[in-house]
Amino acid sequence: MKASSDRHLGPKLQFLIFALWTVFLVFTVRLFYLQILQGGYYHTLSENNYTRSVVLRSPRGKLLDRNGKIVCRNRISFSLVYDTDRGVSIGDTLAAIKRILGVTMTRAQVEEALHRSAVPHVAVLARDVPVSWLQKVEAHQIELKGLHMEMELRRNYPYGDLASHAIGYVGLLSPDEAKDMRLKDVDPFIEVGKTGVEKTANRLLMGTSGRRISQVNSLGREVDDPRLRLPGVGVVREPVPGRNIQLTIDMTLQTILEKAFGNETGSAIFMNPNTGQILAWVSLPNFDPNVISNTMTPAQWHKIADDPRHPLLDRPIQGAYPPGSTFKPFVALVGLEEGAINEKTTFFCPGYWKFGGHVFHCWKRGGHGAVNILTAIQNSCNVFFYHVGDLVGIDALAKWGRIFGLGQKTGVDLPGELSGILPSPEWKKSRGLGPWYPGETLPIAIGQGYLTVTPLQLLSFYATLATGGRRYQPLLIDRPPRLLSSVDISPRDLDIVKEGLWQVVNKAGTGTACRIPGLDVCAKTGTAQVVKASAGVNTYDLKKDERDHAWFAGFAPRKDPSVVFVVMVEHGGHGGNICAPIAKAGLEYLFYGKLPEGMTPEGKPKKEGGAESIPPQLQAGFSSGPGQSAPDDTRERKP
Amino acid sequence: MRNALRNFLLYGDHLAILLYLGLLVTGNIMIRSATFGTKYAPLASRQMIWTGLAVGLFFLAVLIPYEIWLEYSYFIYIASIASLLAVLVIGHAVAGSRSWLYIGPLGFQPSEFAKVAAALASAAYIKGLPDKNVGVREMLVLAAIIGLPAALTFLQPDFGTATTFLPLGAAAFYFSKMPLTRILKWMGAGTVLLLVLFAIGWFTFFKPYQKERVLTFLNPSLDPRGAGYQVNQARIAVGSGELTGEGLYSGTQNRLNFLPAPHTDFIFGVVAEETGFLGSVAVLLAFFGLLSRFVVTIRDARDAEGRFLVLAALAVILYHVIINVGMVIGLLPTTGIPLPFLSYGGSFLMSMSLFVGLAVNVRTRRFAQ
Repeated sequence: MKASSDRHLGPKLQFLIFALWTVFLVFTVRLFYLQILQGGYYHTLSENNYTRSVVLRSPRGKLLDRNGKIVCRNRISFSLVYDTDRGVSIGDTLAAIKRILGVTMTRAQVEEALHRSAVPHVAVLARDVPVSWLQKVEAHQIELKGLHMEMELRRNYPYGDLASHAIGYVGLLSPDEAKDMRLKDVDPFIEVGKTGVEKTANRLLMGTSGRRISQVNSLGREVDDPRLRLPGVGVVREPVPGRNIQLTIDMTLQTILEKAFGNETGSAIFMNPNTGQILAWVSLPNFDPNVISNTMTPAQWHKIADDPRHPLLDRPIQGAYPPGSTFKPFVALVGLEEGAINEKTTFFCPGYWKFGGHVFHCWKRGGHGAVNILTAIQNSCNVFFYHVGDLVGIDALAKWGRIFGLGQKTGVDLPGELSGILPSPEWKKSRGLGPWYPGETLPIAIGQGYLTVTPLQLLSFYATLATGGRRYQPLLIDRPPRLLSSVDISPRDLDIVKEGLWQVVNKAGTGTACRIPGLDVCAKTGTAQVVKASAGVNTYDLKKDERDHAWFAGFAPRKDPSVVFVVMVEHGGHGGNICAPIAKAGLEYLFYGKLPEGMTPEGKPKKEGGAESIPPQLQAGFSSGPGQSAPDDTRERKP
Repeated sequence: MRNALRNFLLYGDHLAILLYLGLLVTGNIMIRSATFGTKYAPLASRQMIWTGLAVGLFFLAVLIPYEIWLEYSYFIYIASIASLLAVLVIGHAVAGSRSWLYIGPLGFQPSEFAKVAAALASAAYIKGLPDKNVGVREMLVLAAIIGLPAALTFLQPDFGTATTFLPLGAAAFYFSKMPLTRILKWMGAGTVLLLVLFAIGWFTFFKPYQKERVLTFLNPSLDPRGAGYQVNQARIAVGSGELTGEGLYSGTQNRLNFLPAPHTDFIFGVVAEETGFLGSVAVLLAFFGLLSRFVVTIRDARDAEGRFLVLAALAVILYHVIINVGMVIGLLPTTGIPLPFLSYGGSFLMSMSLFVGLAVNVRTRRFAQ
């Protein structure tokens, strides 16, 4: 101390030193707490700050028809995405969307989208949004921090509604599907096939998605400056693109057939019996997979789902109908194989047959007189087949039915196939319907009664006839043929039935409308009763939805058949009138390359629906595909 | 001048100079790391120029005997008041407050130099007192000398920088003849008064963002993306450094822009993240070691004005360190007070260097002539 006046400074300086190092101690303890005790925790937080795990989606494979025409491809689309992990509340996000994008959304919509997402914290708010949003969202990234735009590849079906049931449609992966499929790298944009080949071949089409760890800055922007690259950042797993799938369908044939149906409801299948390759798959009415896969609104969905004609029903495998007279060749074959009849067996048809106190009618009031197997097939005489059915009995019919695959799924590459009903005493008993009465066998023998088949099952039977016993699995995807079974049929019996079928078309039979000069078409018409009382009534006098179902099934040519077909029109009346011309159009194209009038050789695909054609409403983005969480959209219930 | 150099080499506070230069080097490295790869990258080189100028000023402050500084102090003081007034009229606004004055391309903040000027003027005033004793009357004069530039700074408006004049007032108070016990009592009372003023301010002139900062300091989770964001991110940066840090240029909080203002207010966050507990404590040791040297200088100084000058320097630097480091490590609310020698900024670096230079000057000339 130099001056006495400063003596008071002594204790003050001591205190100052004490205060300084107290502050130092407090800071050091705090640093020790944050860096040493809590260091690991904060280290994890900092890592979560700058890395994002990004799913690398694999592009979905294309679908091609048998001639390489593109049936389904991908297009670029932009979606608006909300990520709750970025810490912006739903309320703030909705306000920002309204202010910057000028679109009003409700909280319920966002919550619904979150609920539906395969990734719980990411919601796809709108898909196929205008490209102009891209700049807006980028420019306002600070205000729209919870939102970002995502580029995705979406399905485009250039042929529109053609072959829609075979092709199917896609929808966003649902949380349940993600679990079932045990997918590794899932993001909310992964689309999966919901029906058709899109579903059957889904795993092949999807490929495998990959994963990349990306490095982001505080704005959530990706850091791509290599100097700033941190360890552990980069591609963890490369995506494997989905495979292109070639279908066996011929889109030109498909076009011809769908046109030939006009406005009728029904199905048609054309197939190569020697390989099982399906050439055409008609199910009408159809739907546009572009709409269902992409921009469908709840209203559009209800329009499709509530349509009384059920456009989503895949009729060739999901419609089970009585086959009517198209079943008679089967009964004839069973009768021949069982030795109950031969080509000389004759029955007399007075127009009915009294059996067990009941009168069973023939479709021809006056009767056919004396009929043998050929005239019975040619004129579709019921009485002849009542006799055959009675002679062989239900057990033999059921046994042979099983051999030909009736009452069983064919195993075609499509989801949701029905097996139809092949009745037998055991079947009846198991259904609790009591014992089998012999009188119940007679309707079965003319393709009525308990019997129902899917059009594809009937096709499979005719295909087996055509190949002389080889039964192939029907295929929509181009792959090696698969023989299901070989049925042992005597060539002699086969020839008799084939002769009958040839006469149906080429003699004065019921199917002359399908006669094609130079081509030996073998086929059988069918008219299956829908309403019990309609027997003996002219079907065209009935109301449209009570009219008989019309069938036409057969193959061509007679020697070494290469095409087998079934055409079925619901409530169409007589198969010979309505179905035979449809089959004829298809056969003329297949064998002579003949196109119906007004059709150019290139079945022209419809225009691609791009992002421009998207309605501006945000709601349009919610594509509630039927395979997803059902169209019970909350918005619909609100007044 | 030769005499001055000889004095400096013989009696200068070499430890203090070493710590000061060490902090300057650390600051330059940290600013380089904090701006690397960003649009602020050129600031790292500019800071090196500032550092060169600051070291020049430092030696000027050391070598010119402090009695000469005090002789011209009133002139310096008046000049700085004039520049503060000029700033209010022709100042360049940055972030809403007029604190920059431009002479050609060179911009500087008069408020930074005003701190040094106020300290020099106060010391000169004490020198002129008959018994060099600070009583109540003298306290009022000192309060006026310090309060005038503080008020002008407040008007810019730059509330944060205005508060950095408080430690000068505190130094004067501490320096007065009042015994320590009474000072501590007054300090207690002053704390209560501050709290009352704070309460009044809360309901009157505090701006919403200032209130928000206080609230989110008290509970950062209130608003993790808004005002609490900085607090949270700074805490993550500090904590993730762990014992030895992520390494220079490798702090993710810093490099990926999660840490707010990493080269200015949150530079200590970069230190903590990249050099860890060891580096952070080393920097704190340098600061408190330097300030402890100041206390030793006060004890050994040859006259009252010298003692006050060093006390003022100590108070100003200590204030900045406490407020800034306290903010970064989450002990104090967010304010715009930078960290001496480490934060980017030319005027600030120069004023802090002048303070250190004057303190070393006083030590160099501690023996009675």
